[in-house]
Amino acid sequence: MALGPKPISSPVSDAWYPALAFLLIASGLAVTSLFFIYEATSSRRNRSLSKELTTGAVASVFLGFGSLFLLLSTGVYV
Amino acid sequence: MGSRFAFFFLFSSIAILSTPALSDLIISKLDRRIDLTSHIVRVASTLKVENAGTAVVSEVLLTIPNYQAKNLAFLLASSYEGKGKTKGPTISLPVEVVHPKGMPLDLTTYSISLSKGLEKGESLTLDVFAAFSHSLQPFPEEITQADIQLVLFQDSAFYLSPYQVTAQSLSVRLPSARVESYTKLQNTKLVESEIKYGPYENLPPFSYNSIVVHFENNRPFAVAHELVREIEISHWGSVQINEHYNLIHGGARNKGGFSRIEYQGRPNIRGASSFRRLVARLPPRAHSVYYRDEIGNISTSNLWGDSRQTELEIEPRFPMFGGWKTSFTIGYGLPLQDFLFESEGKRFLNISFGCPIDEVVVDNLFVKVVLPEGSREISVSVPFSTEQWQEIKHSHLDIVGRPVVVLQKTKVVPEHNLHFQVYYKFNNLALLQEPLMLIFGFFIFFVACIVYMHTDMSISKSSASYLAKLQWDEVQATVQQVLSIINRCLTVHDKLEASLHDLSRNGDVQACKAVRKAADALFKEYGKELKPLLGFLQSSPQAAHVWPKVDELVAKEKEMQERSMLKHSSVVECYEKKSGGRDIENRVASHQAKLTALRHEVDDLLEVVDEI
Repeated sequence: MALGPKPISSPVSDAWYPALAFLLIASGLAVTSLFFIYEATSSRRNRSLSKELTTGAVASVFLGFGSLFLLLSTGVYV
Repeated sequence: MGSRFAFFFLFSSIAILSTPALSDLIISKLDRRIDLTSHIVRVASTLKVENAGTAVVSEVLLTIPNYQAKNLAFLLASSYEGKGKTKGPTISLPVEVVHPKGMPLDLTTYSISLSKGLEKGESLTLDVFAAFSHSLQPFPEEITQADIQLVLFQDSAFYLSPYQVTAQSLSVRLPSARVESYTKLQNTKLVESEIKYGPYENLPPFSYNSIVVHFENNRPFAVAHELVREIEISHWGSVQINEHYNLIHGGARNKGGFSRIEYQGRPNIRGASSFRRLVARLPPRAHSVYYRDEIGNISTSNLWGDSRQTELEIEPRFPMFGGWKTSFTIGYGLPLQDFLFESEGKRFLNISFGCPIDEVVVDNLFVKVVLPEGSREISVSVPFSTEQWQEIKHSHLDIVGRPVVVLQKTKVVPEHNLHFQVYYKFNNLALLQEPLMLIFGFFIFFVACIVYMHTDMSISKSSASYLAKLQWDEVQATVQQVLSIINRCLTVHDKLEASLHDLSRNGDVQACKAVRKAADALFKEYGKELKPLLGFLQSSPQAAHVWPKVDELVAKEKEMQERSMLKHSSVVECYEKKSGGRDIENRVASHQAKLTALRHEVDDLLEVVDEI
């Protein structure tokens, strides 16, 4: 304790959690809907796998962080 | 009771027989105050120790009879130099159990190591504070609801010490002035709620004179048989504490049943020995506080908070009478930055050890510190001795589980509410583990969807309907390709238009020609691409109803191409001849009208084909 311990706080202020959760999940769901629209409208032959994978990856990044902040804002501190 | 008195007699005789002075110390002045106002017995003694011998003395012995020592929960010795207002800083001294030779077996001996040796003729003032649990014996042991609770306390009027005591006094503070009886010796006074013994002078070592005080004590005898405190750290910003209590009223047992009507009518008289509420003092900024048991939420609780502390008042489901038990859980979250610190590359949690509820004795306390997954090099620093071991706990979004440091201590009194530290190392990147797991989970879902859409799930691969479906898929794909090519053609048309527009502004004929050349090449290329697709559509029986529309679409588009080129070349020609704007308009008007009509038709057809 000699060197003056400095307090550790969370990387993101917890006041932001609900807003972050809402924004990230909303954008995640939007990208998810794009993914499913693409899945449903393009025919099996000219569907591009890389496009599907990138849309899926982007959507999962948004949904992943969104659900993390949703958990945190509801009090489930993971 | 009888056995205890017999034991005292035996004990006194041993004390007299044993060898007297263990060293040359004498206690020149001793003041002892026993506080019996709660169910925890607190003894504060001030000793003035003098070295009457010649050798340097570095330890002072304390003796406590075994029957008290087994209930000893807390012992703290401190010393200070100087007197009165010039009192120096208080230094707490290490205390340990020792077994010196020649000491009576009925005594437990504690040795206080002095910070510096006591020279010949020097003196030192020591403060010794001891807290005992379960030392007030209810008598009678069973009472009815309406009775008050009477308890017995036993001690010696003389300070039991291996040294000679020159002058001493004892005062016993009671919760109320109502005393059934107390042992009267010479120089005994009862003033209000305080009994004074002494002063007594020049008593030899191991002087013992038993006193018994029988008095009323209706304070809550709240004893937690077991308390499990779980402190969970999340680096996302919270220290969550859950405390599981197993509480009992440790006073005189209730007999003759319980009448709710009597209790409700006059709770202070018909339930004097019971308690109905407990107050927990939580750290400031505690949030998400809950109070429940296995049935569910218990709604009888209140919470206040200010900048210094948060006060939680809880009421068990029923008033607690002697021998009654209850179990419940309280939990609260604390802000991380108040308790977690970083120093010299290590992180440490600095939080209080004991039970936050006022005046509760905990028989068996487990403090479990759940560190985040990925913590390494864990070490604990507690200001008193505890049992320690480590466990693994699996919680939300864990892979290998979180390391848990368990500290176990028996006989915990409020004096143990000191801060302790848990040191550990943690890499900040490990924080990303939880979101990455969630991301991976969602990604797996998307991959599953992709796989589902790409796999052919039909069982019979040779049935007519399956083959028809395959063909229809192919037709659809072809139509889509045709549509995309037409769309690309339309953008080329737009480019041509744009180039004409540019021409009208800057008159750059060469650039415009270049655009036309490029457009021409593109149209040719698209035409080549279209050929096999159209051939397939024409020959395929499945596409029979689509074909006319597609054919029409392609034809219209071709016408558009021709018209567009014509218009373009004539406009460029006009520019080369430097004709007037009106002239150009006249020449182009017919093309323009036709083009607009064609564009409309193509757009309509595109929509129609798209919906097939």
